[in-house]
Amino acid sequence: MSVPQYRKAAAIALVAGLGFSIAACSTKGSDDSGKDASGKTVITVDCQPDGSQKDLLANWNADVKAFEQQNPDVTIKSVSVGQQCDNPPDFTARLTGGTMTDVFYGYMTDLQQVLDSGQALDLTSYANKDNIPTWDSVDPALKAVFTDSGKIYAIPTKNYSMGLVYNKTLFTKAGLDINNPPKTWAEVRAAAKKISALGGGVAGYSDYSAGNTGGWHFTAELYSQGGEILSSDGKKADFNNPMGKQVLTNLKDMRYGDNSMGSRQLLQWADLLTNAAAGKVGMFIGAPDATTSIVQQFQGKYQDWAMAPLPGQDGIAKGTLGGGEGYFFRKDLTPEQVKAGLKWIAFEKLTPGKGQFDYARAKPQNQPVGLPQPLLFAAGTEAQKQEVDLRKANQNVPSENFGLFEATPVPIKGEPANAQAIYAVLDSAMSGVLTNPNANVDELLKTAETKTNQLLAAGS
Amino acid sequence: MATTISFQDTKKKQRGPAGVNLSAGSRTRRGRKLRDNLTGYAFLIGAIFCFALFQWFPMIRGIVMSFQHTKRGVTTWVGFDNFVRIVQDPSFWTAWKNTFYFTVLALILGYAVPFVVAILLNEFRHFKGYLRILVYLPVMLPPASALFLFKYYAYDPSDAGLFNAILKFFHLPTSQWMQSPTMTMPAMVIASTWMNMGAAVLIYLAALQNIPGELYEAAELDGAGLLRRIWNVTIPQTRLILALLAMLQIVATMQVFIEPLILANGAGTQDSATSVAYLIYQHGFFQNDLNGAAALGVIMLLVLAAFSAVYVRLTTKQD
Amino acid sequence: MAQDSGTRTLISQAQLQRGKGKAVYWTLITLTVVIFTLVFIGPLYWMVTGALKSGQEIAQTPPTLFPKHPETQNYADAWNNLNLAKLMFNTFYYAIGAVFFQLVFDTAAAYALSKLRPIFGNVVLGLMLATLMIPAMVVIVPQYVTAIDLPIVHVSMLDSPFAIWLPLVANAFNIFLLKRFFDSIPEDLIAAAMVDGATPLRTLWSIILPMSRPILGVVSIFAVTYVWKDFLWPKLVMPSPETRTLSVGIYAFSGGTPMNVVVAASVIAAIPTVIIFLIFQRNIMSGLTAGSVKG
Repeated sequence: MSVPQYRKAAAIALVAGLGFSIAACSTKGSDDSGKDASGKTVITVDCQPDGSQKDLLANWNADVKAFEQQNPDVTIKSVSVGQQCDNPPDFTARLTGGTMTDVFYGYMTDLQQVLDSGQALDLTSYANKDNIPTWDSVDPALKAVFTDSGKIYAIPTKNYSMGLVYNKTLFTKAGLDINNPPKTWAEVRAAAKKISALGGGVAGYSDYSAGNTGGWHFTAELYSQGGEILSSDGKKADFNNPMGKQVLTNLKDMRYGDNSMGSRQLLQWADLLTNAAAGKVGMFIGAPDATTSIVQQFQGKYQDWAMAPLPGQDGIAKGTLGGGEGYFFRKDLTPEQVKAGLKWIAFEKLTPGKGQFDYARAKPQNQPVGLPQPLLFAAGTEAQKQEVDLRKANQNVPSENFGLFEATPVPIKGEPANAQAIYAVLDSAMSGVLTNPNANVDELLKTAETKTNQLLAAGS
Repeated sequence: MATTISFQDTKKKQRGPAGVNLSAGSRTRRGRKLRDNLTGYAFLIGAIFCFALFQWFPMIRGIVMSFQHTKRGVTTWVGFDNFVRIVQDPSFWTAWKNTFYFTVLALILGYAVPFVVAILLNEFRHFKGYLRILVYLPVMLPPASALFLFKYYAYDPSDAGLFNAILKFFHLPTSQWMQSPTMTMPAMVIASTWMNMGAAVLIYLAALQNIPGELYEAAELDGAGLLRRIWNVTIPQTRLILALLAMLQIVATMQVFIEPLILANGAGTQDSATSVAYLIYQHGFFQNDLNGAAALGVIMLLVLAAFSAVYVRLTTKQD
Repeated sequence: MAQDSGTRTLISQAQLQRGKGKAVYWTLITLTVVIFTLVFIGPLYWMVTGALKSGQEIAQTPPTLFPKHPETQNYADAWNNLNLAKLMFNTFYYAIGAVFFQLVFDTAAAYALSKLRPIFGNVVLGLMLATLMIPAMVVIVPQYVTAIDLPIVHVSMLDSPFAIWLPLVANAFNIFLLKRFFDSIPEDLIAAAMVDGATPLRTLWSIILPMSRPILGVVSIFAVTYVWKDFLWPKLVMPSPETRTLSVGIYAFSGGTPMNVVVAASVIAAIPTVIIFLIFQRNIMSGLTAGSVKG
């Protein structure tokens, strides 16, 4: 190669390298029309079940296929973001980075954050019977959660409330009556003591203290005492009081007084459910779908599990934590994309007999059918009746297992504003009582209160 | 594309770096000089582009961001508000305390141990290669792999855990490891040292091999014992590399992040693991407070700069 | 002076070859070999076998030294559910690209700074070296903000491998190492080549680079290990499951995966680097020490 060519080649390589590097960065994101080459409307949707949830993944993929057959002009691209669809730091990073899918999953508590990021599409003019046939049956309270200044920003797809989940097999072994589960925290403590006496590393009662789940459960337990996380104006922490103290004292007594909570602490979501699936947990608080996770992800058996209402200090809980999830839409979608997205959510999440309500399919897969939640449709509506009928027809979980939970209405309270950041603060109080035999409950609450107040002050 | 033009003109045969070229009159020399400079920058452009985009610009932008606030796409200047908020975060001082504690512990363990190991290995005439491979092996593991091993198996607080089983075997008291606020930091330092010390050992070994043998011989003839020889020969001879690695290690450990994130789920029991780097992460990507995170970054930069200044002072004084 | 087995170190050879010295030496070396094996291989053994145990067996006290009923289920689950093949491919792909971009851009830059010395070259070098004083955590937020919305062109680099490759080019340490090495190449050689009519590029290609193989090896090793070990940056700029690296992918799944599967995934993730290390250990270790001490 002659000299001039050499130089030229080098220069071109350098310039091309840089130019290419910038061009390649812009490959992300669909083009403005929202359509592919063949003119089909393309939408990306996240929260596809991942590989470890084999049946759920297969069902989702089958649903996508069926949906695309029904709507030949729509293509759905599914994205799986991990086992918890909304891992708070990742979710925030996706919002900041603008890398959410076209239709993206979020918690009920995420509304403000999504609005702050400026990424949410106002769905008010789209959310109607034409796009979601069952829309009028959807519980108005759930719609309200995703509404801000009269505009709705997400479609609710799941709604749960918490109770006491208990292992019937361990109950029987420990000589406890499976039909008469504990109703108060004192009874939980007594039962936990008996169950942990079985030995073999079994924890009578188990609870979280890491990854924000500790604060989440603290909140539920505080509600059971009749307490609140925040004052009514939302400006101050309201848990440093006898009720908050009672929550931590109950846990501390079980952990160190009776040693009935096992020695492994700092558990987060998967850790507790792993232990539970391995038959090492007698009781924990959770939503009915915890049993689905135990079966689908952690190789447990739903036959082991039953559920009671959340215990309270003296009698059934004064309140329980309810929460849920929904799907938001990106601001830059075309009307066709929005309609396609709504139709997909209607198909997968809001149609009795289809998608998440396809009980006839779930039953042979050994998934628990007959769980009393998610409560998406308002009582007395057409969709609700259909859903209940189908559920009853395919039920494999004995109704008495959840009967008590269903029959005992406990007032449901939502999560506090700024929930994830407050949960992170409360994790520390939970880990305090569960890992430190000399923990000072008053001090832990005081610290958490100070931090929460500062957090609220900073946020406003 | 403009840069390609400068390469088109290749008529002059004698060209070379500034100073090498001795021929030609002043006019052509000026032209050549320009061309040489352009050639030089053509070679530099790729690196300059990347430095500008990912180092120089972000550094300035970080400082700018720390005085701004962005909400719903609107950016305003807020003076020192971000700094005030960050300093008032109850975790702020805890995080600094934890970070310094980690740095000091890591200095004691992670700094001294590799040096001792290197001195030991340098004396051996057998199994040299094997021992070196062993020490360096954990460095090659992905950090997440190594840390999950520690988290789930070594630091299991029940008697089924590896470390507790060993302690129990020797009838020693077992520990709660990551569940104990007092053990959190030492446990993190142990894991961190295990997975990182290999590199330091190899660097020390190379430095030790450069020490002239005559120095030891002379010291021995003077009747210096083993420890004296280490003190009078080994340490002074490796002083530069010791000082350099101390500096590098302190800067690295001040940024400890993945150890608390994986071993302690971030904060650890009762905030015993929260580090400054983790706090930056938490503000930026958890609480949606990028401006606060930038402010904390600026504070960290100032602390490390102050530290470096002290370090330079100390090391230059010794010379 | 006995030169037969290497140079004189702290303790003289003669002393180690006689009676008491010999006994002490062999005791010490045996102890060291045993302890080091336990300390550095032990945990790895525990990890590999632990992931072969069932959930019940891993929680057993005292723990079992060998898995009673080894099951490969955890490994199979990890491989399939976490899509480790894809994660592994990504990590290799990023590592190879990082080597390529660093070698091309950093070598070119160091060559320019060392031999071409354009006007203000020292200022540029100074500005580059100044970044050595800026810890990575300090600029992580503005770097991220830059990567999600590049100045002027306003495109996002997220999920593009260039988000990993290009920031790694901005590595002052590499430039420093390379420049110092190039500085040591005699000027006469280059002057001679230039007189023969070689262009700067030709000089770089056929004179400098062939002489610089060792240092290029060092830079490559640094690049590969760096990509393999980096965590926070890839976690931020590679948010999609399809683009994650091994470390990030395993971490992302650890929140919802049974611990034995996480550990099994960790073992699988460690295998490629350990194998590469064992094959190239001589080059890697000599390169590392040469790079860091002699430069």
